[in-house]
Amino acid sequence: MRISKAGLLVALAFLAPILVELRTVLAWADIHLSVLETVFVGAIIAAGLLLWAFLPEDGDETTSDRDVSNSEL
Amino acid sequence: MSNAYIDQFPAEAKVVKALFYSSFVALALGGVFGIIQTLHRTDIYRFIDSANYYSVLTAHGVFMVITFTIFFLVGVFTWAVTTSLDREVEDIRFTWAWVALMSIGTVMAAVPILAGLTDSIDMSAAVLFTFYAPLQGHPLFYLGLVLFVVGTWVAGADWFRSWWAWKKENPDARIPLPTFMVLTTMIMWYIATMGVATSILVFLLPWSLGWIETVNPLLTRTLFWFFGHPVVYFWLMPAYMMWYVMLPKFSGGKLFSDPLARVGFVLFLLLSTPVGIHHQYLDPGISEGFKFIAMTNTMFLLLPSLLTAFTVVASMEHGARQRGGTGYFGWLKALPWRDPVFAGMALAGLLFAAAGFSGMVNAGMNINYLVHNSLWVVGHFHLTVGTAVALTFMAVSYWFIPQVTGKELWNRSVALVQVVLWFIGMTFMTNSMHRAGLIGMPRRTAEPQYEGFEFETAVGSVGELDAQIALGGVLLTLSLVLFFANIIGTAFGSRSDTLPDNGYAEALSGSDDAPRVLDNLKLWTAIAIVLVIFAYSLPLLSIVDRGGLFGPDIPPLPVSLESVTFLAFAVEHVATVALESAGNFAQTALSGVIN
Repeated sequence: MRISKAGLLVALAFLAPILVELRTVLAWADIHLSVLETVFVGAIIAAGLLLWAFLPEDGDETTSDRDVSNSEL
Repeated sequence: MSNAYIDQFPAEAKVVKALFYSSFVALALGGVFGIIQTLHRTDIYRFIDSANYYSVLTAHGVFMVITFTIFFLVGVFTWAVTTSLDREVEDIRFTWAWVALMSIGTVMAAVPILAGLTDSIDMSAAVLFTFYAPLQGHPLFYLGLVLFVVGTWVAGADWFRSWWAWKKENPDARIPLPTFMVLTTMIMWYIATMGVATSILVFLLPWSLGWIETVNPLLTRTLFWFFGHPVVYFWLMPAYMMWYVMLPKFSGGKLFSDPLARVGFVLFLLLSTPVGIHHQYLDPGISEGFKFIAMTNTMFLLLPSLLTAFTVVASMEHGARQRGGTGYFGWLKALPWRDPVFAGMALAGLLFAAAGFSGMVNAGMNINYLVHNSLWVVGHFHLTVGTAVALTFMAVSYWFIPQVTGKELWNRSVALVQVVLWFIGMTFMTNSMHRAGLIGMPRRTAEPQYEGFEFETAVGSVGELDAQIALGGVLLTLSLVLFFANIIGTAFGSRSDTLPDNGYAEALSGSDDAPRVLDNLKLWTAIAIVLVIFAYSLPLLSIVDRGGLFGPDIPPLPVSLESVTFLAFAVEHVATVALESAGNFAQTALSGVIN
């Protein structure tokens, strides 16, 4: 994986504000998306993110999974 | 044997635990009332009478932004002072005394609010969190608030007492950063609460008891906002403290700059209070010039907020690079996203950036007219207190609760899902609130629909905006359920000996790099008071001069020259009629005699 599972979860969550704001921004360019169309666009972006995240990468490191607040620095 | 807070300060750990649990009870109650009003207002599910909406709204506001936040932050401050000075409180009975004062005050204020939901008790305080006139609550509500605020004052005295005792033993040492942050925040709080104390003790409480007949509504509004804006910083500054002294530690690094943190807190002390009039841009009776001064002061507040953003992000980047992160943005991947404490605080900070932008719109005098008293404002403060503060407090609870109970957190994966769910829920809810505000949808109403009128949305429809608000509310409620599952699971867990040590982040640039003048609290207090006098003395005098200290006089008749003229006319008319009658009578009598 190119990113930790927790990092992926947060990245997927970050899609929420991107998508709801994207709908407004596109309206300025006279592109009006319905709710279903927005969900569809979101699903495509999420699928792309998942695809990227699960592609193997040389030298995968897992430091980002280390839980600092529950361990000694 | 661990070296957690409970091991270092067992007596204080009990106090902090009691404060945290009190705050969580308020959070639970506030959350229940939050989802009730969300579903009611959006017309998705209604089971309360719309007439009770304001009691529900008051309960949501008071429990969330007064009780939850302040109980939690006084717990954090007690931890901060004892940990950073490395000394117990001077007298634990004194500490429990202010906890008791705050608790009694909370119960007294809560009783009339909740009683307002039933007709069987003749008591109500549906005055909303902004409890100024003309809305009038039961006297018990005001008395409760007084006790609660006095409790916080005594708490501040407790922390100052610790610092003075420590200073005697360490005359040349710099004030440790967490204690410095507590002391500056409390000085700001002492100044700010003068407004609300005056408003309640001199006007609202005597008025609710029937001792005085009238009040000057604009005066009580202005005194409320004298306190009403800095109270936002009373919530935010502990969250900032967590971002400064804990987030770098959880990121795996050190605080970027202790001096910058001190400068930020000094600026918050100076600038938090002389800005309250920016909540009253549409109030008639306050001159535009005074409003302009408040706007200028408010814009200056952006400086410490931007300093905070820079320092916190720099500290996180330092931590990420210590953990092997590289590249311009690649270091973000090296941050400990698996850790709910870190992830929650980082996501709270992210949404706080959005809150800063919407706050600038609120603060600008002319553009404020567009969104004043609309749902935009509700969206804004759900990003500030509802996310930056509440999410930070919930996230850091996952570190604090094990520290004060000595028990392992029940489930860290559930905790991570909880903070992420709060972030998503708040995103949906506040985005739609801001957009609804832009089309003029009012806040504080159970029925935002009007006959023969439809709001025109820029994107989507009003129904979609309502659905988005309700979706956000449901996700937030689910998030709260997960939070309480974790807290209750932890509370009933068994004692652990493998907890992390109590402590906070060291600084890359430490207190020795900060000018000593930054620790001169008397100087900053004096300047803060002078700024408040500049910003408030003339507006307050002008309000009292125009409207009277206790409202406009209602003297007995006659009240004006017009009345005198009317009376003169009436007397003249009566006299004329009498003379005419007398003349007629005389004429009739004379005719009778002659004939």
